[in-house]
Amino acid sequence: MNGAVLLLPILIPAAAALCVFLLPRADRVVKGIFSVIAAAASLALSIALWGRTADYSIPWGGFGMDFSLRLYRFSEFILLGVAAIAFLTALYSTVFMRDKPLRKQFHAFLLLNLAFASGAVLADNLVVMLFFWEGLLVMLWAMIMTGGTKASPTAVKALVLNGVADLCLLLGVGMAALSAGTLTMSEMRLPMAGINNAAFALMMIGAIAKAGSMPFHSWIPDAALDAPTPFMAFLPAAIDKLLGIYLLARISMDLFEFLPGGAMSAVMMWIGAVTILLAVMMALIQKDYKRLLSYHAVSQAGYMILGIGTALPVGIVGGLFHMVNNAIYKSGLFMTAGNVERETGTSDLKHLGGLGRKMPITFACFLVLALSISGVPPFNGFFSKELVFDAAKESGWIFYAFALVGAFFTAASFLKLGHAAYLGKPADEAGKAKEAPWPMLVPVIALAALCVLFGLWNTLPLNGIFGPVLHDAGLEAEHFNGLPGNWMLAAISVGVLLLALANHQWGVKRTGKGLGAVDHIHYAPGLKQLYDAAEKRRFDPYDIGMAIVRGASRVLFWIDRGIDWVYNRFTVWVVSAFSWLVRKPHNGTHWMYVLWVLGGAVAVGILFLGVF
Amino acid sequence: MLCAVFIPVLGSFLLPLFGKFSEKLRNALSLLLVAASLAASAWLLPGALRGEAVKVSMPLPLGFDIGFAADGLAVFMALVSALVSAIIVLYSFTYISHYGNRNEYYLMIVLFIGAMMGLVYSTNLIVMYLFWEISAIACWRLIGFFREKEYVLRADKAFLVTVFGALMMLLGFVAIYQQTGTFDMTAMRGVKIPDLAVALILFGIFSKSATLPLHTWLPDAGVAPSPVTSLLHAAVLVKIGVYAFARYFLVTFDMSQFWHTVVPAICAVSALVSAGAAIIETDIKRIIAYSTVSQLAFIFLGLSTGSIVGAAGGLLYILMHSLAKGGLFLCAGIVEQNMHTKDIRRMGGLIASMPVTAVAFIICSFSIMGLPPLGGFFAKYMVINGAVDAGQPWMAAVFVLGAVLTVVYLLRVFAMVFMGSPKGDLPKERSKTMVASVVTLAALSIAAGIFINLPSSFVQQIVSGMAVMPK
Repeated sequence: MNGAVLLLPILIPAAAALCVFLLPRADRVVKGIFSVIAAAASLALSIALWGRTADYSIPWGGFGMDFSLRLYRFSEFILLGVAAIAFLTALYSTVFMRDKPLRKQFHAFLLLNLAFASGAVLADNLVVMLFFWEGLLVMLWAMIMTGGTKASPTAVKALVLNGVADLCLLLGVGMAALSAGTLTMSEMRLPMAGINNAAFALMMIGAIAKAGSMPFHSWIPDAALDAPTPFMAFLPAAIDKLLGIYLLARISMDLFEFLPGGAMSAVMMWIGAVTILLAVMMALIQKDYKRLLSYHAVSQAGYMILGIGTALPVGIVGGLFHMVNNAIYKSGLFMTAGNVERETGTSDLKHLGGLGRKMPITFACFLVLALSISGVPPFNGFFSKELVFDAAKESGWIFYAFALVGAFFTAASFLKLGHAAYLGKPADEAGKAKEAPWPMLVPVIALAALCVLFGLWNTLPLNGIFGPVLHDAGLEAEHFNGLPGNWMLAAISVGVLLLALANHQWGVKRTGKGLGAVDHIHYAPGLKQLYDAAEKRRFDPYDIGMAIVRGASRVLFWIDRGIDWVYNRFTVWVVSAFSWLVRKPHNGTHWMYVLWVLGGAVAVGILFLGVF
Repeated sequence: MLCAVFIPVLGSFLLPLFGKFSEKLRNALSLLLVAASLAASAWLLPGALRGEAVKVSMPLPLGFDIGFAADGLAVFMALVSALVSAIIVLYSFTYISHYGNRNEYYLMIVLFIGAMMGLVYSTNLIVMYLFWEISAIACWRLIGFFREKEYVLRADKAFLVTVFGALMMLLGFVAIYQQTGTFDMTAMRGVKIPDLAVALILFGIFSKSATLPLHTWLPDAGVAPSPVTSLLHAAVLVKIGVYAFARYFLVTFDMSQFWHTVVPAICAVSALVSAGAAIIETDIKRIIAYSTVSQLAFIFLGLSTGSIVGAAGGLLYILMHSLAKGGLFLCAGIVEQNMHTKDIRRMGGLIASMPVTAVAFIICSFSIMGLPPLGGFFAKYMVINGAVDAGQPWMAAVFVLGAVLTVVYLLRVFAMVFMGSPKGDLPKERSKTMVASVVTLAALSIAAGIFINLPSSFVQQIVSGMAVMPK
């Protein structure tokens, strides 16, 4: 196959995005439909590319920075996932964004995101990967900006947080390239020693930050409120996870000899474990549909990082499978939030309730998606979580404990969310709500169906894709489908889920409403103070970082002013003092000049004495 | 090549004369002079790409031979400089039409650009010094163009600092002359020069390229008309220093290993301090000026670590920074002229009334931040990669920190000027030529990123011909 065909997944959406920009302003629907067609074309293309391999390379930046792309088992799968999510989001947005002022920009940036994401996935040269990767940063900023001027601070926050991580990635790429002597990813295989540890750590930061891990996460909950909902379903829920974990898997399996038991493995597992727990604790107490989901988008990334961080085949497979599952259900969940928001005009859970009757299809889909994310068998989330649990238990009980507690809170918060939004008494806002229009339902139904499919038929992704991917990377490929070998794990998971259900029932009974189901945890002594501080953003890494930057800048600014003072005041003072000093002896009086003459004579005399 | 130099230098003196008859004619002629210089440099490009430098020289006694040569480095710098200058001159037509002393303005601008061309092509240290000082005089007049007392003082400051630096450099040249008996750089390739001479020359270079601690005149120079600041930052003045660095220490002289660590260290401090100042300042032009100081440090880092990738990155950085920084200042000019203030605290929400300027501004900002698909990305990557290659990963890490601060201060400006709630009424962009200029620069930044192969292959050709590069 001609390798140049690999340019198409990048060029088709990019060209389409340009067309969207250039289309006349007047029409409200055409641009949406156009972007659906373009995304469909990309999807069709990635289906056509399925199962093939191809390479493409042309000289580009010099110094080994060739524009090289590589299509193989792993990249084509991620490419398909990206295109599929983009298509569904585009379809969804035709209606959701129809009346929004910046819809043209939204559609165009959606397509550009697709183009850049495809490039990042296909890249076989680290600089090309970086080019598309950091390009996504610009697109991320631009897409949040389509939420209007109020979204600007969030867009800045997202750009700064991810920018820090991407610059780390850039430095890591430089180091890796130096020790490998090449920039071509498929030729790299670095042992974990010396500077390579730093290179790995830096590249890992870039990857996990894209996936939304702590401490680079805090823009996601803000974006949930400021950016358009389809954006959330598209980037933080799906594409960012696919790309971040794809890169993490690539550096762990291919680029570096990343082995269990190493320091980097421990670092990654801890990041994963802490992210799972802290983010899910925050999700638990949220009173806004989208904000609650956004914390889960962070927390779920923790499972993937934990899984891959174990460096065990079962963990890597679990992490990858969880990445796919998360992209499916999290995207779907955000879309249900969008449906609710569109029909009721709010996503605040205090004003929602009883929507189950009014929006039965959305509710049914929500149920499937929520059961999947909570890890209820036989949905897809259950199987991927079990794999991660298995790997975590192998690596240390403490990680398993974090993951289990995370699972408990995940289930608890979705019970609360579902109860508050769809059951209970209908709130006033829910009065005139009806089922969402079909372009917004079809994507949700499709995603819910995929959850069922990947749950019941988990052999399809596990043995069809991830097993062979691991095999290609030289890791032993067992069969991972079905229940884990140790059935105790599954039993414990189910036990945790039942515990969450009991907890929910008790909480509801205590407060009398779905929204209050976790109040006993929220307002527990000790936790309450922590939660209050967290809600006041005391722990936001962005705010802390910016405070440090501002403080340091203040110091640097005064250093700069000090230097300027040397020019503006000190130098002037020295010059005038000097001229005053030399002016003094020239005061025009007779005796002063007699002194000069005498002094001169003495000096000449000394000089002569010295010479002779 | 002589056309490239002497058409603007000599032609500039005719401009006031034409200005007496017709404004339009003078404007057109000044653009024509710069364009001629650009065209002449472009004409030299094929030769430079083949590695055959065109040379002209006039022998004089005592090693004072006047000589010009168009090698790859010279043509590269001349093209970058003339291209951006031409766009700035075009922009000036509307900007400056509101003010007096227009004849003087065009005279000085074109003379300035001509001096840059002369400096770039000359092969003799003393001839280079002459053009160096012509540029200082032009710069002095242009900074104090609005003639207010405070402004004139700042122009004096800029003049004094840069001329003092240049005199130091002249001392360095004398030290070199003592050793070699000539001022002709082509005769001195690969000569090892004493550390004292290096230190003196670096002093001159840092004063011209506004590097800590010789930088504070540059933010102060923001009192000049915006196209002038744009010219100072993007096309001519501060690029003289980096060009001279490349010319002296990459092509001509061999400096001791010691400087490959000292220069990056000075630049690291410069990058961080100026970035910190940029985060605190509230005057839009001062912020962008500090950003220049900070970015110049990146260019020096690339050129000075002694790595071939870094050197290529440094040269690309000159190009990318010129395009983007020129664009930023011209955008700032549009904003400042319509808002009648430079204080970003008194701006806000301008994207509603100046959408094109806002988009151009953010595109140029992204290029400076080093984000793809803009050209700045490759430059920044190569510069940082160069530091890693040279065995200085910690230095690279410090500059990564500097790059983070770059992101912060540029976004801060954008957010405060174009986002947020409007303070007072929102003026429109008005002039089409001015907007067209900034759009051109933004578009060039994008093109330079996507088609990086074009500038990159040129730069590769240049660095492969460098005399004193390792490897």
